[in-house]
Amino acid sequence: MTILIGLLNGMISAATPLLLSSLGGALTYYAGIFNIAMEGMMLSGAFFAVLGSYTFGSWQAGLICAILGALMIALIFILFSVVLKVDEFVTGVGLNMFSLGLTTYLLRQIFKVKGAFTDPAIVPVPNIPIPFLSGVPFLGRIVSGQNLIVWLAIAATIVCHYVVFKTRFGLRLRAAGYNRDCLDTSGVSADRIRVWSLIWCAVLCGVAGAYLSLGYVKLFSENMSAGRGWISLAAVILVSGNPVGIALVSLLFGLADGLGLFLQRSIPSQFTAMLPYLATIIALFIYSARRRKATGN
Amino acid sequence: MRKSLIVNLSGILSAFLICGVVMQLQGYPAIESYAALFNQSVGSSYAFLTVLKNSIPLVLTGLSASVAFSSGPVNLGQPGQFLIGGLFATIGGLFVELPAPLMIPFMLMLAMIGGALWSFLAAIMKQLFDMDEYITTLMLNMIADLFTYWAISYPFFETGATFPQTPKIVKSGWMPSIGKFNSGIIVMLLAFIVVWFIYYRTTAGYEWRMTGQNPTFARLGGVPTRRNYLIIMLVTGALAGLAGGLVVMTGPRRFIKGIGANYAWDGIMVSMVANNNLFATLLYGIFFSTLETGSLGMELFTKVPSEMVTVLKAIIVLVVMAGRGSLEVLIRNWMTRQKMKARAEG
Repeated sequence: MTILIGLLNGMISAATPLLLSSLGGALTYYAGIFNIAMEGMMLSGAFFAVLGSYTFGSWQAGLICAILGALMIALIFILFSVVLKVDEFVTGVGLNMFSLGLTTYLLRQIFKVKGAFTDPAIVPVPNIPIPFLSGVPFLGRIVSGQNLIVWLAIAATIVCHYVVFKTRFGLRLRAAGYNRDCLDTSGVSADRIRVWSLIWCAVLCGVAGAYLSLGYVKLFSENMSAGRGWISLAAVILVSGNPVGIALVSLLFGLADGLGLFLQRSIPSQFTAMLPYLATIIALFIYSARRRKATGN
Repeated sequence: MRKSLIVNLSGILSAFLICGVVMQLQGYPAIESYAALFNQSVGSSYAFLTVLKNSIPLVLTGLSASVAFSSGPVNLGQPGQFLIGGLFATIGGLFVELPAPLMIPFMLMLAMIGGALWSFLAAIMKQLFDMDEYITTLMLNMIADLFTYWAISYPFFETGATFPQTPKIVKSGWMPSIGKFNSGIIVMLLAFIVVWFIYYRTTAGYEWRMTGQNPTFARLGGVPTRRNYLIIMLVTGALAGLAGGLVVMTGPRRFIKGIGANYAWDGIMVSMVANNNLFATLLYGIFFSTLETGSLGMELFTKVPSEMVTVLKAIIVLVVMAGRGSLEVLIRNWMTRQKMKARAEG
């Protein structure tokens, strides 16, 4: 029982940042942007979360700084890809590199350390105990005491689903990706919709970054996003952006991650750490097989 | 040609300007820092030979990315292919001992096989199951990173070491150097010449370039695009693997954790900023190596953290790419306006 609880909790904590950044990726996916800068946004968010929390001594400030840090990357993305029409892929690769360089540089510049920074003055995002449920044997230990950002991620899934499919903005968002000329001629600027999708993507990625450095652990280390942005991209492509699908895929990747931690006792940790990446490849395989069946060859 | 030279130079200059302003704002002397940077990299022939030696992995992974991108396959797997290539060469150097004239080609061959094997995995997934290579190569990068980490922590671990690393490879597998001139540079230049020749002067290279520019046109023209895809993936994997082998044989002479970390995305960045032009890839590879080598000198003299150079490189890439795009738009707009004017007058 304890093992199962550990596994489920591991799954939830690994799935949360993936879910948030994938939702962000989904918004840009619907707007027709090939956005690979989630990695950079998340990393920047993780760094500024620690900076804000450490400087102002509150996790709220950390969360806001995380969002601002990710927004900074998004604004550069907007400047280059929407305004200057640079190739989106190139912009994304450049920005991921920029984010890695910037956070490593600032880590040394501000905190005078190499590698990782942790300090008692960093205030983490709190866990939320639920009074009535915490006493319930099995459910209580999973539902109660989860990090605030876990709940934010669940809320974000529902909100994203509603916004994309039920609101005017969502309709325009999908139109921007589906046929931008059509949207432009109907009097709505597709570029403006793209800008908004990138901004919301950055907000979600910033929160994902904050979870990495203030929720999951309480430190910032170089390149701590560790390819999660790329896994999110795969997740978005696998379910064609559908928010509910994203939640399921994120949980699946989270399970692979949790399983990895659990298997560490019997298998070298390097192999168990491969599980999320292997899971991505397998998921892609299933997706391709299904797609080929659908097109009939 | 001249236009692209202007775009590149002005891009580099503005990137330097941006970083210079940032340094000045943080209280570092920008001009002295840049002076130290270049003095420590191209200030003497001694330093420049170090730059050339350090440019080996940048140029080779850059070539790998340039050839792949301009021929169609989005091979983003250079970091992983680099590591597996390095690991293969190391294993050869640990268990086989041959005289140097045989040992060095043997290890280089192993490195290329290792890299090609890793890209082959992605290629076969694409060809059999239609899985996009830009995701599979990325995932394989992470897997290669963890796999090599395991390999040097357990089966090939140097007993007694405090850090994950293998023992040193046999002496005959070290790339010989004369003074500061490391013969790895010759291998790099040879690889460049061979790739350049194949790419611009043979039928195969013509087919690759055509496939990259217009796959439908190439296929209808009778180019075996499927077979070429496999060949390109293998060749570009081998190039990245060669880079890994050469780094092992010129640098630490063993596989040590974090060996590829500095070159992870650099090859891809080099190819992008060079617009996939092979000669520009060579130049940018050497230029980025100049910045990296000089950054240590800069840190020594004016205390600017060497990580500044990573930011500088990213800004160069972005600014040059933006310049290339927007300059074209500007020229197109200007030409349209001229045409309109001519029509209005005529």
